[in-house]
Amino acid sequence: MLQVDRTRWHPIASSDDLPFRHVFQAQLFGREFAVWRADDGYVNVWENRCLHRGVRLSIGINDGRELKCQYHGWRYANRTAGCTYIPAHPADAPARTITNRTFLVVERYGLVWTAEEPGGDVASFDWLEQPGRLALRPIPVNASPQRVLASLRDLAFPPCGADGESFETAVESADDSVVVLCARAAGAETLAAFFVQPVDAHRCVIRGVLDRAPEEAPARLAVLRDLNQRLTGLRAEIERVAALEPAPAALEPAIEPLPAELAEMPAISNHGRSAGFRVSVERKWEAARSIAGFELRPLEGLLPTFQPGAHIDIHLPNGAVRQYSVVNGSGEGATLTIGVKREPDSQGGSSYLHDTVRAGDVLAISEPRNNFPLRRDATKTLLIAGGIGITPLLSMAQTLQNQGLAYELHYFVRDESEMAFRDRLAALGSALKIDVGLSAEATARQIETLCGGYAPGMHLYLCGPGPMLQAARSIAAESGWPDEAVHFEYFKNTKEIDDSSSFEIALARSALTLQVPAGRSILEVVREHGIDMPSSCELGACGTCMVTVIEGEPDHQDVYLNDSEKRSGTRMMTCVSRARSPRLVLDL
Amino acid sequence: MIKLYDYELSGNCYKLRLLMSILELDYESITVDFYPGREHKSDWFLKINPLGQLPVLEDDGLVLRDAQAILVYLAARYDQSGRWHPRFDARLLGEVSQWLAFADGITATASAARLHDAMFYDFDIDAARQGGHRLFRILDEHLWFGEREGRDWICRADHPTIADIACFPYVMLSEEGGISRMDYPAIRRWCDRVKRVDGFVTMSGIFPAGPARAA
Repeated sequence: MLQVDRTRWHPIASSDDLPFRHVFQAQLFGREFAVWRADDGYVNVWENRCLHRGVRLSIGINDGRELKCQYHGWRYANRTAGCTYIPAHPADAPARTITNRTFLVVERYGLVWTAEEPGGDVASFDWLEQPGRLALRPIPVNASPQRVLASLRDLAFPPCGADGESFETAVESADDSVVVLCARAAGAETLAAFFVQPVDAHRCVIRGVLDRAPEEAPARLAVLRDLNQRLTGLRAEIERVAALEPAPAALEPAIEPLPAELAEMPAISNHGRSAGFRVSVERKWEAARSIAGFELRPLEGLLPTFQPGAHIDIHLPNGAVRQYSVVNGSGEGATLTIGVKREPDSQGGSSYLHDTVRAGDVLAISEPRNNFPLRRDATKTLLIAGGIGITPLLSMAQTLQNQGLAYELHYFVRDESEMAFRDRLAALGSALKIDVGLSAEATARQIETLCGGYAPGMHLYLCGPGPMLQAARSIAAESGWPDEAVHFEYFKNTKEIDDSSSFEIALARSALTLQVPAGRSILEVVREHGIDMPSSCELGACGTCMVTVIEGEPDHQDVYLNDSEKRSGTRMMTCVSRARSPRLVLDL
Repeated sequence: MIKLYDYELSGNCYKLRLLMSILELDYESITVDFYPGREHKSDWFLKINPLGQLPVLEDDGLVLRDAQAILVYLAARYDQSGRWHPRFDARLLGEVSQWLAFADGITATASAARLHDAMFYDFDIDAARQGGHRLFRILDEHLWFGEREGRDWICRADHPTIADIACFPYVMLSEEGGISRMDYPAIRRWCDRVKRVDGFVTMSGIFPAGPARAA
């Protein structure tokens, strides 16, 4: 019987098996993996199964940052395996629960190692750490790992550099996953580890690594061919004997429907905004005049999945909570990059980040939220950024660029010194158009030109200062862009909030009726009664605390919803918006 | 205009559609109801091909059967580059012919397994699958060492030939016959490379690969 030890690390591939933009198919103890290297070098080992319809992800497409399922096009992010896009729901950000199962991975000795529930480290072989080692061609065998391990002890091969037929091969050590052999001849010695990857009860792969090999390519190739021939000869013998006995039944690994921490409902709390992740400031730099760039690295584990357009809350030690857009393209990088503009009238957010926070400091951030999701089904996407509004649109541009979709990014800055993230901008090539130093009127004229060629299927994304957004939205509307094709994100809500009304709210799902008095928000009242509502900016700009209105007439005071959404009265922001009718029924 | 007697789910018909797409040739497809209609055994079709097999190509009065033979004809006649069927390079041409025969072996095994599983042909499925695995082991080893020698394709050339086109379809469709390619990583990488040839087209069961370089 095969001993199934899920805590033990096993090799599942050679490093060479993961070339640019390929998806490798592997298996350990009956469990299949989709293994792919992203463009940033990170090796992903995932359950080989799309969460949607169970199709193998190993037939999917590695686009360097995301893996796309062939069946219905669901996209999963490098590193986290979180879903970033569902073509059937192009306007929505996928739920965070849609995250594929990932497995830890280590690259060592020219091999890729994983374990289902790793305990301890990859087996240590110092003599395989040298650069001169040589990973052999892997040899799959239709026989049990035990049988193969036993037969490997009899493998004979000459040491590298030996000439002549006279050599000895001896077993140096052996356990239940590797056989180490030493080949000796006059003046030459080669150590070789033959790891046996237990693919299934009746299948395995011999993954051999030599401690040294000739440096010249033809001689190395001759060693590879010689060992390949010896191992395939051994395989023929093993399989001949194994075929005489009935094969044991294949292993059937259990598929976990969802990682436990995602499947559970979040605990009820009325603490309001939470910051569940600790990150350290890896790098702080001047991304442009009065714009500080921050690169944030998680203290442990991986950053949560984000999608283009997402933002995080940063909870500062001085108590301030601020929102910043993620600048990374989808599936890119081990760190999150944000850009912080120093606000002249800063109330302790941007000034604190500029003046006090330094590289090495630890900050608390929320999970990324996306209330500004990017559709990837547009015939053409037009991105218009003003000033620091570049940050979410740069994330979108990099995603569209990587996917090869049609887009243009128009970046309006007052002068060149305000251009942020130049290295990322440079990678966009001809899709980037920069307008420097235009007056408000000239900017409006330029936007008018840009908005001129609307055709159904196009989408427009806007982010920038309030007056520019206001102007751009009117221009787009006048140029024939329907509301649903125009997406925008304000930095803040500059409207004066009128909180003088008082009204009743009925919470349909919680079966509660509450009074909202003047001076208090729906969000505050609801939280006070133990109902956990997500929120972020709490100023009516970000869209996080949105709720569905079942009955009653909302008094919209936010800048998140567009005009037709406001007119429809079916959704509202609970942080600033109130009621025109005496009573609202909310889907809470 | 070239006429192709064609069946959508046939890998041997697909390899001709693939080469004609790569060579940017216009052709007319005449659909033959292979399954379930068995039209390739009908009287009218037996007059065109007495063997009762698809595909058949008609061009300029020439009627040609056998997928590999048609690949040779199309490449020799229409490929201006002379690369797909390198008739002036004796060694290379020998290799191409050797692997065209190997492709017939893949048809006899991996394709037979698929006909058994998908179209209910009464074949010895275990023998068909074992035969497919035997050939895939040989091809994987050949391609693995090719990668070490700087050779991306089946034959010793820095470009694909009709040998790649001939072997590709029933390798890619093998899983429909219960022949997994998990044990053949070099074959899987070669399949990605074939899918990235300019003019590549898909068929049911053969998916595209992503671009090799960022767009």
